[in-house]
Order: sequence, then structure tokens, then C-alpha cells
Amino acid sequence: MNTARGKKRRAEVTRRLRIAGLERGARGLAVLAGILSVAPVAAHHSFSAEYDSERAVQLTGKVTDMRWSNPHAWIFIDVAQPDGTVVNWALEMGGANGLIRRGWRREDLPPGTVLKVDGWQARNGSATANISTVTFTDGRTLFAGTSNAATPRQ
Amino acid sequence: MLFRCAIVSIFLVAAACSDTLPRTADGKPDLQGIWQAQNRAAEDLEALATIPYQPWALEQKRANFASRATADPLVRCYMPGVPRIMYLELPFQIFQAREHIAMTFEWSQVYRLIYMSGAPQLYPGIGSWMGHSRGRWEGDVLVVEVTDHNPGTWLDAAGNFHSERLRLVERYRMLDADTIDYEITFEDAKVFAEPWTIRMTLQRREDLARLNEYQCQAEVEEASGAFEPDLHTWYPAAPPPDNAPFDAAAGGELPTLTTPAEIPRLPDGTPDLNGYYQSDAGGANYGLEAHAENFLTPASRGVVIDPPDGRLPYQAWARTERLDRELPHRGYDDPTAHCFVAGIPRSHYIPSPAHIVQTEDYVVVLFERMAWRQIALDGRAHPPDDERFWMGSSVGRWDGDTLVVEARNFNGKAWLNEVGDVITHAETVVETFTPVGTDRVIYRATVSDPIAYTRPWTIEIPLDRRPDELLEVACHEDNNDLQHLKDVRDEYRARQEEEG
Repeated sequence: MNTARGKKRRAEVTRRLRIAGLERGARGLAVLAGILSVAPVAAHHSFSAEYDSERAVQLTGKVTDMRWSNPHAWIFIDVAQPDGTVVNWALEMGGANGLIRRGWRREDLPPGTVLKVDGWQARNGSATANISTVTFTDGRTLFAGTSNAATPRQ
Repeated sequence: MLFRCAIVSIFLVAAACSDTLPRTADGKPDLQGIWQAQNRAAEDLEALATIPYQPWALEQKRANFASRATADPLVRCYMPGVPRIMYLELPFQIFQAREHIAMTFEWSQVYRLIYMSGAPQLYPGIGSWMGHSRGRWEGDVLVVEVTDHNPGTWLDAAGNFHSERLRLVERYRMLDADTIDYEITFEDAKVFAEPWTIRMTLQRREDLARLNEYQCQAEVEEASGAFEPDLHTWYPAAPPPDNAPFDAAAGGELPTLTTPAEIPRLPDGTPDLNGYYQSDAGGANYGLEAHAENFLTPASRGVVIDPPDGRLPYQAWARTERLDRELPHRGYDDPTAHCFVAGIPRSHYIPSPAHIVQTEDYVVVLFERMAWRQIALDGRAHPPDDERFWMGSSVGRWDGDTLVVEARNFNGKAWLNEVGDVITHAETVVETFTPVGTDRVIYRATVSDPIAYTRPWTIEIPLDRRPDELLEVACHEDNNDLQHLKDVRDEYRARQEEEG
């Protein structure tokens, strides 16, 4: 990835995190609920230590599983490679509790769903990424469109 | 009298003893104190009753038994679940507040929060290792229904098990001041042919003044070398010989906080701190001093209010160590990356909520990331200096409307945040919890640590009370990150070795 693009992408991630008000715990706005990285909200370890700022990734694939765990939830997607093989990527997000408090349940992301994600690959080179955005093929943002006014905010 | 009550209990008629029971101000049996089961249930629950398994489940139980040396979730320090936690051979403590009962367990900082208000559960159907407990009083009997179990727990070390459909009904019947008749009914249509019930006694541990810590996974990793000692910070590390003198008198003049008269209060007028809180931590878990965002490390607004410049008054060695800890190969060394408890004051600003249960004698804080601290209000002394804990020892008192806590006896294993702000076993903390509005408490912690700092410093963080319920964080059980962080560290070390 060239440096200019990397900087732009990092700036975008920064902007989205800031918009999401993650540090202030200000969530619940439906339109922003899709900013799933929520990593800062639930982190128990340094993301900067685990992920590589030089390895931005954009992936498209089918959901094979989702682990509703804490402090981090994980989505697994199969990503087709140019040579026809498939790599299963593990995508790390904020904790499941934040999603649950916004009204989301494990049934809301069935296997087979196609997603596009942006994120950063792990320093150890494994098919693991910390993701900042999750988008459906029709452009909707994952978990967006559900207003949880009735759900107490975290 | 005790003898008569014991006999009566055999016939399950406790009423004859009820006039001797200790009671809380609202007239309920006072179950508060430290308790422990004295039986073989943890080893094999079928010492108490034959479990009516369905045929397939009996086969599964036998397979579990055969592989128990490795298959028992407790071998991996996974949370024991309910009811197993109740009869592990370790003590636990009960606290009764108006709308909640808390149980804190010596085993790995696990707790139970029992909702007593009768309000509906906010998040039904979310399975967890410790289940979800809602209780009520039936006369003098505390009845608790436990649902939403994770199927990963066992009932004992012999492989007796259940499914996610388990529903428990517990009955706590106090027989006398030192004995609880504890009954559990198990329903699980997937595993058992019919509901079944066991009964045991819980005995008061009068010999114990406080619970200690048994941090299962931390002990395992320390023994194996997976978590390495920090010779600068762990008890009983000595200060470096070239440390600057510690100016204990420096600072300390903080802005005054005012508590309005109309905040929620207990009948005796004490501020009522009970409830669920989310800290407005401003990124303190990523640095106590103000800093901008750096890649995936979020910005911090800076929570240090003394010294006035917002900078931590580090000793030279500790500032160097702090900067080293921020490097990627040190990410593995942060105890919370291993899912160990966060210590004090960090537990109050990690980005997870907490629930406060307040009684006359204690303020107990249950952190969503499965850890507890109990602040004794009875004027007791701290433990001897050589008794050291991850969460320290906390003794508090009310000064007007402010809860003032002194915490000490730390083991020096915690970090102050993910970027590695330093704290050592020499840490003593004076904390204040001051209500400044109906649902806002200002938390301040003044930290004195002559090994790592040249003078005391103070942080300030608002805690906001909300109408919410805790959800379990099974950090160690679901820790997928540690291996990645270890890879980064190991690669760094290999490179260092190559470079000589």
C-alpha cells in the first residue's frame, strides 16, 4: 500500500472513530451504529501492538461464523483468492456486550452473508484483522438501521 | 439451641429457629458474611444425589469422567458456573442491599449479582458462564432462579454436566447465625429425565476476616513462565538506588466538590451509591496523560488533575520503562492482555461498566470484566504488609457525603493502562467517591508510589449511573489475542538474539 493512501485510510478510520464518539461512550445513533470497530470501547489489550499500521486490508467474503465474545467479538469470513483458493479471515471488533446493549443478537448475522470490511492485518501475518467498517453488498452498513432508543446505552 | 436447630433442619422446618436469626434492617434474614460448603460436592455431585440422566447424557457423563484430567473446564481456569462455584472448596462472601444481593468468590474474582427488585430482565437469553440470577424472598427463604447458562460449564470435577437449557432454583434457608440450608433444583429437559434436587449446608467461616485472592489463570501462567515477573514493580522490588527523593507533601490541593442535598440517600442519610455505572474515562485506559490518537491507540483527554500540568511525575527509570512498554513487542506484557484483573485505580477506568452494591459495612464494586473489589467500612486495619494482592486491600469511611478509601497491599503486577503507565507494589491510593448529582459520582484517586514517582499525583474520572444491567465478560475464556501478541514479542526476541 502506498503511503499516501495509507495516510488517507488512517485519517478516515480516525475520523469515524471520532464521529462515533467512542471515547465518550456516546452511542445509540442508528446511523453510526455500523461503525463496528468499537475497539476502544472494549479493548483489553493494545491494538497498536497486535495490528500493523502498514498492512491495511480491504476484504470481501461470506460469513462463516460469528463469535459473540468479550471484550472482543469476531466475525469469520471466507475470502476467495485469485488462484481460486479460499482463506478464512478472523475479523476482530469491539465486544459483544456493546452490540447486545444496542439490541443486536447472534441471529442477526447468519452464515452466508456477504460483507466487505476495511481493517488492519495482524503483525504476525496471520489471516486476522482488526476491522473498522463492515458493509453489506447493497451498501448498508452492518448493524445500521436498527434504532435502539429503547435499549439503555452502554 | 444450635443442636435443636440442626435436628429441626433435618425435617426442613426452620421456623423453630427463626427467632434466633440475625436480620437486616428490613427484617429479612441477614445472610451477610463469609461462607463455604463443607462436603465432597465439588469432587462428585453424585455423593449427594443420583443424577437422573437421559441415556445419551449418561454416556456423555462417562466420557467426561474418563477425560476429566484435561476436559474439565476448571483445568483451564474457565469460570466454574453456578452452582459449581457455590461448593468449590473456597470461601465466598454475601452482601445484601435493597435491590441486589452480591456474592463475591475467592476463586478468580468471580461474582454473582442477584437482581431482587422484581423488574424484568433487560437482556434475556444471553448465555454466560455464571448465568443470570434473579431472586425473591418467600418468607424467610431466599429463592433465586438462575437461567441463561453457558453449556460449557460442568457441575463438578467428575464430569457431571448440563446444557444451555439448564434452569436452577436455589433456596437459601438460614438455620442459625452460622448455617444456611442450601437447596438446588436442576431442570434441563435436554440432559435430565426429570428435575432433581440436592441439599447441603453452607457454614459461616468465622475464622476469616476477609476473602483472599486465588487468581487461577495468573497463577498458572506465572508458574509456566508465560507471564514473566517484572523485577522493577513486583513485590518486594526495592527502589533503584539513583531514585530521586519522594516529596510526599507535594500537591494535594484539589478543586472542591459539592454534593447536592437531594441526591439518592439511604434511610440513615448516607449517599446511596447503589447501581450500574459507566465511567467517562476519556481514554485513560490508553494513557493517563493527554495524547493524540496514534494508529489504533485512541486519544486520551488526560485525567491527571495534579500536578496541574497533567504530567505524571515519573522517576527517570519509570518514564523510560513507560516508553518501552508502548512498543509493540511489550503489548504481551500488559496483564489485562492476559485477562488478569486490572488493579486499582485502573479497574475504574477500563472501558467496561461496573455495578456498586452498598451495605452498611461495605461498598462492593462488581466490574463487568469479571473482577470485584470490596471496600470495608468497619474501620478495620489493612492486612500485614507481606500480604499482597492484585486488587490490594481497601478500607473506607464516609466523610460527609464523600466515600474516602485507602487502598494498599498491592502486588505490583498491574499496569495503569495499555500504553504501560507504571505502578509498583509501593503504591498506596487514597480515593474519593463524591456524588455531585443524582446520577453522577466524581471518582478521584491520589496515588503515592515512591518507587515509580517523585511525588503523589491525582486523577479524576466521572462515573455515570444508568438504568442498565451487567453482562458477563468472559475475557480469559474467549481470549484470541494473546497468541498474536506473543508472536510479536517472540519475533522481536528472536531478532534481538540474531543481532546479538
